[in-house]
Amino acid sequence: MTIDAPKLTVVTGAENDPRARLRKRMFSVLAHALLIGASILMLYPLLWLLAASFKPENEIFTSGIWPSLSWDIDSYFRGWNAMRVSFTVFFMNSFVIAFLCVVGNLIACSMAAYAFARLQFKGRNFWFAMMLMTLMLPYQVTLIPQYVLFRDLGWVNTILPLVVPKFMAVDAFFVFLMVQFFRGIPRELDEAAMMDGAGPWRIYWKIMLPLSIPVLVTAAIFTFIWTWDDFFGPLIYLNRMQDYTVMLGLRTFVDSTGESDFGGLFAMSVLSIVPIFVFFLLFQRLLIEGIATTGMKR
Amino acid sequence: MTIRLGRRQFLMGSSALAAAAAAGISPAFAQSALRLIFWGGQARADRTYAVTDLYEAAGNPGLEAEFLSWNDYWPKLATQTAGGTAPDIIQMDYRYIVEYATRNAIAPLDDVIGDLGEFDADQLEGGKVDGQLYGISLGANSVATLANKKAIEEIGETVPDNSWTYADLERLGEAFKSAGNGMVAFSDGSGTEPMLDNWLRQRGLALYTADNKLGFTADDAVEWFQMWNGFREKGYIVDAETQALDTGTPESSMVATKKAAMMPSNSNQLVIHQSINDDELTITSYPRIAPGVGGGHYRKPSMFFSVGGSSADPAAAAAFINFFVTNPEAGAILGVERGIPCNSAVREAITPTLDEQSQIALNFVANLGDLVGALPPSPPAAAGEIDLNLLRVISQEVAFGARSAEDGGKAFVEEATAILARANA
Amino acid sequence: MTVHAADAAPQDAASGTSKWSRAWQNHAPGYLFLLPWFIGFFGLTIGPIISSFYLSFTDFDLLTSPEWIGLANYERMFTNDRAFATSMRVTFTFVLFSVPLKLAFALAIAILLNRGMKGLPLYRAVFYLPSLLGASVAIAILWRQLFAGDGLVNQFLSIFGIVGPSWISNPNYSLWTLIVLSVWQFGSPMIIFLAGLRQIPQDMYEAASLDGASKWRQFWKITLPLLTPVVFFNAIIQTIEAFKSFTPAFIISNGTGSPINSTLFYTLYLYNEAFSYFRMGYASALAWFLLLLIACFTAFSFLTSKYWVHYDD
Repeated sequence: MTIDAPKLTVVTGAENDPRARLRKRMFSVLAHALLIGASILMLYPLLWLLAASFKPENEIFTSGIWPSLSWDIDSYFRGWNAMRVSFTVFFMNSFVIAFLCVVGNLIACSMAAYAFARLQFKGRNFWFAMMLMTLMLPYQVTLIPQYVLFRDLGWVNTILPLVVPKFMAVDAFFVFLMVQFFRGIPRELDEAAMMDGAGPWRIYWKIMLPLSIPVLVTAAIFTFIWTWDDFFGPLIYLNRMQDYTVMLGLRTFVDSTGESDFGGLFAMSVLSIVPIFVFFLLFQRLLIEGIATTGMKR
Repeated sequence: MTIRLGRRQFLMGSSALAAAAAAGISPAFAQSALRLIFWGGQARADRTYAVTDLYEAAGNPGLEAEFLSWNDYWPKLATQTAGGTAPDIIQMDYRYIVEYATRNAIAPLDDVIGDLGEFDADQLEGGKVDGQLYGISLGANSVATLANKKAIEEIGETVPDNSWTYADLERLGEAFKSAGNGMVAFSDGSGTEPMLDNWLRQRGLALYTADNKLGFTADDAVEWFQMWNGFREKGYIVDAETQALDTGTPESSMVATKKAAMMPSNSNQLVIHQSINDDELTITSYPRIAPGVGGGHYRKPSMFFSVGGSSADPAAAAAFINFFVTNPEAGAILGVERGIPCNSAVREAITPTLDEQSQIALNFVANLGDLVGALPPSPPAAAGEIDLNLLRVISQEVAFGARSAEDGGKAFVEEATAILARANA
Repeated sequence: MTVHAADAAPQDAASGTSKWSRAWQNHAPGYLFLLPWFIGFFGLTIGPIISSFYLSFTDFDLLTSPEWIGLANYERMFTNDRAFATSMRVTFTFVLFSVPLKLAFALAIAILLNRGMKGLPLYRAVFYLPSLLGASVAIAILWRQLFAGDGLVNQFLSIFGIVGPSWISNPNYSLWTLIVLSVWQFGSPMIIFLAGLRQIPQDMYEAASLDGASKWRQFWKITLPLLTPVVFFNAIIQTIEAFKSFTPAFIISNGTGSPINSTLFYTLYLYNEAFSYFRMGYASALAWFLLLLIACFTAFSFLTSKYWVHYDD
């Protein structure tokens, strides 16, 4: 896989100096060593989880530092079909919800961010502050009024309360994020386009969005993952087990008042990471390739 | 001066626009099936679904059931109740039944429940609030000491029987200390409310009185903390750091992590603990304060089924509950997973079908003998808060040495009294 | 679906004088682009927010209607609540330590990775992986396995002869295990930093090199300044999230904040008040106080941001 390393090595006189080359190499080796060491630290807990998912039930809590190597995949099968509704359904539900949320967020938040970042209108700062304020209130206290609201709309027991708000830029996090990125795009581009007679929509569509691929991809990744990981929304609004998402299903594996299936929990936890990890791997290419389209065109 | 606002009215007034729009849309809930909600893990769910299937197969209306873990259950139930969409049949706990009943979030059952057959009187009483029946007990439970039989026998001792005392606890403590195998005799019970309750009852006191006040004094509380401090100093129980690892889940408990050989528990938890422990476990009573002193235990309803206050068809809901607790086939499916069945016919029918741990639990609850005292009155509002917020925190402070036992006992009684006064005013 | 009552139309949309219609022409695009947000804000968001503010002046036990009690909740909060002070202290400590550490790691690794080294995607994925496990129940079990008295961390330390305390169950150290957990999940801000770094136009670096600037100088004069909007974003967001942090404390202490309330995060305390003790009114008051704190902090940050954040517009 060729990485765009050459883009950052700029041609200067110093490059041809063998000493500088050696220093650069040493730095690179050091960097790699640090990164590998850090990676092990980062990954260790996850490796433990992975190993535990392959162990028979009563050995899970008695392992030492080095996960011992038994390969009992029973937990995976047992966990998958543990409930009346299999995890296939849960995974599909999670996918649908996450996908819809990604679409909603990308459209609505970029539009709102464009308005805040580039367009002038009365009360812009006030509304921006209002939008930020929605980030600051803990959800626990708006939960009940929101529930009543959705109940009155007839949306309880559907995925609508989880998905529709995304199409209305409710995620202030992404609006704020995109505002910061949009403000980093030079205004000269806008002005040039305006002199060519482009209106705000054309600027948005033809200039801002293409130049913001990194942040849009970031927003897509985060939206997908956070929606995937969210359990509280599905907990409150989904009543039927066949509507449950993966995270909600996971939480029924472990109940402090009854028997818990830890093997199943670990196995399903490992599996639940797979889709979001794959999503991340697929989309992160766009984070690399995005570099080809950013920067000023001459 | 208090102003009461209709909840629906106030909430709709606040979300003016949506409400204006929603006025044109009436939510159409197709409530053809009864809804049931309960907490538990997969094991309980399997049994419960089997019973609902059985009920449906017998020609009755079907049920839609959902289950959640304990931690998720209560916020969801509270949210649904606040929103008026609570299910028809609600699994209820002893700790919350008073709160829900006094606020009409669950319905009185006296008129709709029908004939429960030969139902244990004390279990029926346990589901009453202010004289009205609000919950049907799904199983009787008693407090019990969970014991690691293998570990105890390994050091040459035997598991104590129901006659053992706190003095025996100390003796076992010494034995484990000398054995030096990293395990101590008992976990730290100073923050365990049922154990405190049991200890008080043996002395003729109680945690709470019928008029929602504390049933003991600061001196008692101080003596309680001092007793456990003594055990801790002598090394008979786990130290503070170790006990704090127990966050209330079975897998973090002292017996599961092999730190202690015995710990306070409930009779229906033997099965659960055995499933995560490769040593053989058993149960025995809580210790007596002196030989021959009884009256500490009581048979407590482990959990109830209640009918939602806003249920459209309480009679149908109650009919299912009746089936659940009186039908022998259902009883066989349920076993003693929720507790010992309260209907004697069901109990007799299932006894031969139980596995070893369930048999132990059943025998234990049936043979408490003089250990059993009168059923306490229903706990006052805020009892749960005193347990979780106050007793546990203060007992931890005393254990870690941040407070003296005298200080802790006094503070506990003072603050508990204040909480009770505020909640029960 | 007629949720969107006609609320989004701005006041100056009245047809009439040319001055107004010109203003409309200028302002309309802004409002139109914001239309989805306005619908969401007025239809879905503002109602519950106002409700919760109202609730903070009531005694609301979730099961019956709220009862007005004026300022009593706020009074109790400031004069009669030991746990309030504890949870404030716990939360502030958490924010103070976890946010800078998290940002520092995120920035350092992002800069390191941005050099376009071999294996960049792999490293990036590896560092992001822990963040994927966010709310999983498995984390609680995992963390106990690591940080308990005989846990893996202590087993590792014992190799060097260090006898560690039971980190996760000792009130002096338990908060630190949660700080470690938060910092361990620095993947999110790291990705954002990476995206920000990637957005810096390449020809800036090329031009600077042609002028003879060293890599170091380029970093100080180009990278950092152009990155400040993103740094600002991450700082604000991470701080807000840290103040509101709930799930880690909830799952690791099983909702108890133990030992001795040393992990009683503010929102955990709030959650217990609402759902365990049936005091949603009080919880709402707590929430609004938190909002006030966060809003002050954010306002201050925005006001001072003009001294160090560099926007290109």
